[in-house]
Amino acid sequence: MDLVVQIMFGVTGLLILGAAFMVVSVRNIIHAALWLIACFFGIAMLYLLLQAEFLAVVQVLLYIGAVAVLVLFAVMLTRQIDDPEEPVLFQRWRSTLLIAAILFSAVLVPTIYNHNWLIFTDPQPAFAGPRELGFAFMNAYLLPFQIAAVLLLAALVGAIIIAMEDQEQRRTRVLTLAEEIALRREQEPSPPTRLANPHPASSMSSNPTPPPTPEQAGEGT
Amino acid sequence: MYDVVDFLLNTQLGLNSPDWVVMLISHLIVVGMLFVVAPLQVLFLTYYERRAIARMQDRVGPNRVGYEGLLQPIADGVKMFTKEDIVPESADKRVHLLAPIVTAAPVMYMFAVLPWGPNMIAVDLPTGLLFFFAISSISTVGLLMAGWASNNKFALLGAMRAVAQVVSYEIPALLSLLFAVMFAGSMSLMAIVEAQGGLFISTTDVPSVPDLGLGWFVFTPVGFLAFVCFFIAALAEGERTPFDIPEADSEIVAGYMTEYSGMKFALFYLAQYILNFLLCAITATIFFGGWQGPGVAWLVNQSLSADNPAGNPVYNVLAGMLGTFYLLAKTYTFFFVMVALRGAFPRLRIDQLMNFGWKFLIPLTMINILSAALWLAITRWGTAQGFSIIEFAGEPGNLVRWVIAFAVTLVINVAAYWFLARLNVQDHVARQAALAAGWLAVSPPRSA
Repeated sequence: MDLVVQIMFGVTGLLILGAAFMVVSVRNIIHAALWLIACFFGIAMLYLLLQAEFLAVVQVLLYIGAVAVLVLFAVMLTRQIDDPEEPVLFQRWRSTLLIAAILFSAVLVPTIYNHNWLIFTDPQPAFAGPRELGFAFMNAYLLPFQIAAVLLLAALVGAIIIAMEDQEQRRTRVLTLAEEIALRREQEPSPPTRLANPHPASSMSSNPTPPPTPEQAGEGT
Repeated sequence: MYDVVDFLLNTQLGLNSPDWVVMLISHLIVVGMLFVVAPLQVLFLTYYERRAIARMQDRVGPNRVGYEGLLQPIADGVKMFTKEDIVPESADKRVHLLAPIVTAAPVMYMFAVLPWGPNMIAVDLPTGLLFFFAISSISTVGLLMAGWASNNKFALLGAMRAVAQVVSYEIPALLSLLFAVMFAGSMSLMAIVEAQGGLFISTTDVPSVPDLGLGWFVFTPVGFLAFVCFFIAALAEGERTPFDIPEADSEIVAGYMTEYSGMKFALFYLAQYILNFLLCAITATIFFGGWQGPGVAWLVNQSLSADNPAGNPVYNVLAGMLGTFYLLAKTYTFFFVMVALRGAFPRLRIDQLMNFGWKFLIPLTMINILSAALWLAITRWGTAQGFSIIEFAGEPGNLVRWVIAFAVTLVINVAAYWFLARLNVQDHVARQAALAAGWLAVSPPRSA
C-alpha cells in the first residue's frame, strides 16, 4: 500500500510540475488558464493523498469551480493581449531564474531541514475533517477568521462601488434607484438618448417579459 | 458489495485472494452498474420529457418507433453515432475535443455519493454533499472551453451566460442545503438520509416518534423554504426552461453547443440530462428522505447485518429494492415537475435571472440558515450550551420543543419571504416606472 501511495505521489507531483510549467510557458493565455486548472487538480490530489479530503473537495469547489472559472471568464472578455512576435522569455531570464531559485531555496531549505514534521505512521481519519476545521475556526482562530471575512466583504463592497460608479462623475456612495432617477431628471430634462449599459444580453426590447414576481417563482412558505 | 465479493471469492471458491483484489472487483461491479444505469436513465428521460411536453402542448410526441415510440431514444442514439463529426476550421481543435469530456465526466462522478438504498452507496464520503457540488462545478469549465474553442460568437455568448448563471446560482443552492448538514450533523449523504426517519417529525428531533421513514426535512418550515429555494436554484444549474438562457434557441442558436455535432453533441446532451436527473435525485435525498419510506426501516431491521446475525439475507435485497423504488419514484416526480415547468413558463431575461438570484434567493436562504440554527437550539440545546431558558419545555428531543421550534421558524420564514417579496416587487415597480419614463436603460447587471 505504501508503494502505491508513493507512486501516486510521484505521478501527482509530475502532473503538478508539468502543468505549472505549461502555465508559464504556453503562449495562448486560455491554454495557460486551462493548465492552471490541471495544476489545481493535482493539488487537490495531493490533499487526498494526505487524507485531507475536506480540503481536497474545497480546493476543487473554490479553486476550480470559482477562481479558475472567473480567471477564464475575465481572460475571455479581454481583447487579444498576447503578441505572437514577442518572445515568451525575455532576454535575462537565466539570471532572473537563478536569483529566484536562490531566494526560494534560502527560505525553503532551512525550513525543510529544521522543521519538526508531524508525521503519522497510521492514518488519522478525522485529522482535517470539516468538524475539526469548523471548531478551529470558531474557537482558536475566530479573530483571523473574522478579519479575513471583513477583508473579503470590503473587497466585495469595493467591487460593487467600482461597478456602479458613473465613470465621469465619481460619487462618494452608491445611489439608490430613486436617487439615481432624480439625479438624471435634474441633469437632463429630456429622456437621455444614451443607453447606460450597451450589454448584448440585456438588449432593450419594446415588450420585455415581466420579471418573475416572487409569487410566481416560489409559492408559499 | 465488499462482503458479497469477499464471501464469493474467498469462502465459496476458496481463492484466498488478497484484500485489494476484492476491493477492486467490488468497486468495479458498482461502477459498472452505475455507468450502465446512467445512460439508460437518460434514454428513458428524453423519451419521458418529449412525451410529457407534447401532452402539455396538445401534441402526441414521438409515437412511431416501437410501441408508443418507446424505441425512439434508441433511434436517436443510432442517429447521433452515425452523424458526421464536424469541427470548425478556425476552432481550437484540442480544446474543442476536450470540452464535452470535461463537461460529461464530472457529472458521472456525482453518482458516486448518491445513496440508492440502505447501505447502497458507491462511496460514503464524509463530505459527500460538498463533493457532489464541487464536482458539478467542474462542468462549468467544460462549458467555457466549448464556448471558447468553437470560435463562434453564439457559442461564446452561450458559455458566458451559462457560467454567469451557474456560478451565481451555486451560492443559493449550497446555502439552502446547509440546513440539512446542520440538522444531520454530517455532510455524508447517507447520514442525511438516515436522519430523516420518523413520521412527519424527524427521529433526530423527537426520538420517540414511530419510524415509518417519513420524517422528511421538507415537513419543517426550514426544510420547506430550503426546498423551494433549492429547487429553483437547481433549475438554473441544470439549465432547465425558465432558466435556459445559455441555450436560448431563439436568441443564440444552441449556445455553447452550436458548433458541436454527432457524438460530441450527444455527450453534452447526456451530461445535461444526467445532471438534471441527479439534481432531482439530490432534491429527493435531502428534502424528501431519499430511500426512506414506509417499510424500509422494518425490512432493514429484519435483514442480515453485523448487529443482527440472525437476520434473513432476503430482507437485505428487499430493503434495497424498496429503498431504490422510493428514491426513483421521488426523483421521477421531480423530473416531471421540471418538465411541467418547462411547458408552463417563458424564459427569463438574464438581468431578471440575476436580480432574482441575488436579491431574493440568496437573502432568503441566509435567513433560512438563521432559522435552522434556531431550530437546532430549540430542539437540542439545554443548560450545557448556556440555553437553560428552553429547558422548561422538557428533555431535548421533546415534542413540545419540536412544536415551539416549528412555530418560531415558521414565523421567521414567512416574515422573511413576505418582506423580501414585497421589497422585490417594489423594486420591480420602480424599475418599470423608470423604464416607461425612459430614465433608465435596462437594469445594470454588468457582471452578467
